[in-house]
Amino acid sequence: MTKKCTSTPKTPAPWVYSEKVKEHFLNPQNFLMGDEKKFKCDAKGIIGNPICGDQMLMMLKIDKKTDTITDVKWKTYGCASAIASTSALSELAKGKTLDEALKIDAKQIADYLGGLPKHKFHCSVLGHDALKAAIENYREKH
Amino acid sequence: MIYLDHSATSPILPSAKKAMENALENFPGNASALHTPGHLAHNLIEEARENIAKLINADPEEIIFTSGGSEANNTVIHTFKNCEIFASAIEHPSILEPAKTYAKKLHQIPVDKDGVINLDFLKKSLKNTAKNTLCSVMLANNELGTIEPITEVKSIISALKSSDNIYLHTDATQALGKIKIDVKKLDIAYLTASAHKIGGPVGIGILYVKKGAPYQPLILGGHQEHGKRAGTYNTVAIAGFGAVAKYATTHKTWETYESEVRPLRDKLANLILKNIKGSALNTPLSLSLPNILNVSFAAAEGESIQLYLDMLGKIIVSTGSACASGDGKPSHVIMATRNDAEVAHSSIRFSLGLNTKKSDIDAVMKELPNIIKNLQGISTIEVKND
Ligand code: FES
Repeated sequence: MTKKCTSTPKTPAPWVYSEKVKEHFLNPQNFLMGDEKKFKCDAKGIIGNPICGDQMLMMLKIDKKTDTITDVKWKTYGCASAIASTSALSELAKGKTLDEALKIDAKQIADYLGGLPKHKFHCSVLGHDALKAAIENYREKH
Repeated sequence: MIYLDHSATSPILPSAKKAMENALENFPGNASALHTPGHLAHNLIEEARENIAKLINADPEEIIFTSGGSEANNTVIHTFKNCEIFASAIEHPSILEPAKTYAKKLHQIPVDKDGVINLDFLKKSLKNTAKNTLCSVMLANNELGTIEPITEVKSIISALKSSDNIYLHTDATQALGKIKIDVKKLDIAYLTASAHKIGGPVGIGILYVKKGAPYQPLILGGHQEHGKRAGTYNTVAIAGFGAVAKYATTHKTWETYESEVRPLRDKLANLILKNIKGSALNTPLSLSLPNILNVSFAAAEGESIQLYLDMLGKIIVSTGSACASGDGKPSHVIMATRNDAEVAHSSIRFSLGLNTKKSDIDAVMKELPNIIKNLQGISTIEVKND
């Protein structure tokens, strides 16, 4: 007996990334265009290396009294997921206290973006590391 | 869509598609079988073999069908197992990886900033070579388009006392159809070619083996190809390859590449250099295939450039960037020519086809300058004014 195959093949997704990644890649939030001196920040963290193909800089404005991140700007030399991840992280971190911001992990960034392909997960780690470095730098000085 | 990734794979040529449909519908027999359908399929394969042989001026008996360029390359290297192998530092991984595994010693021939091999190095190090030494230098490089001086390599070998010990192989996967190839004039022992860079199907290639040159089959277990390559004949793909080969020979595609594609490629190069700050060519225009242009954009990362071009302009290109945090390595070709990871990570390869039009170049120039400007603007790296 032959069984007829009725399932229609799914049209493959035109892009490996989620819509959310696409959105943040095409319209990144909170990036700093041009000279970093343009943004007067209270804390700065840089991670990665252009030789390795990625580098990320996080800059934070912090309200001393409440220990809250009031503004975030970033710059990056990196891939599409790196751009989208940093953009997403900047949204997530804004308005949080430093302790709360430290708790945002790479998985949370990836989830916020509707998932990242496996080999792109480290891109979200990168953004998080830069944020952590910025907060640590700040705490060393204050 | 503006497809500028022909060196990765090219859209199927109508005559190849027709030949494949014909093979699929009308030649269903196993070409090794002695019954009528088998015999008919066999004839179809032999016709394709003749067409391919003609394109490179070989004899049909010197052509062995393989599953593609990578298998052909692996087969040559495997033939020289436990021998000394000389190969350029910018060969395809399907040469370099097996050579690292099988060779008694792999001597990598260094290249200059254009990707041209160092002939002096070769002259010096090829002296006193042992019996059965392989020298493998690609006809043209896949990332840069650089054409290697195979004729000069051959003269160097011929002038040596030990010249009979040295066999010359060239990987012509990128060069086929783009420049005229004559294996007799080049006087080489082996040549690799594949169908899918010139409008044929993927999954089919050839190894040319000059009569009398050493040969060891890589795939055993069948009498196909006179025992030189076991495995049921891929009649459909072979018919497709035969059709593109015939097309290339009758239309002299290399002339069209020269007269029509090269000017477009050069125009794109000049527009980029003129309009985009921090751009630098990795391809030596006058020493390269007519259809490849590799450019680096300071402070802008290749994969991002590639995806912005794709999403904003439906422009399809490739990049030599691969991030180390993701276990990737930047292009070994650009590392060999420029020794600068940043240049490699910022590189984009445009590869044009016979159908590329001036309006495609205009479309690139409509999107690219802004993409680069924005990426440079948000980059952690500063673009120096030059
Ligand atoms: S930062 Fe490494 S691939 Fe994205």
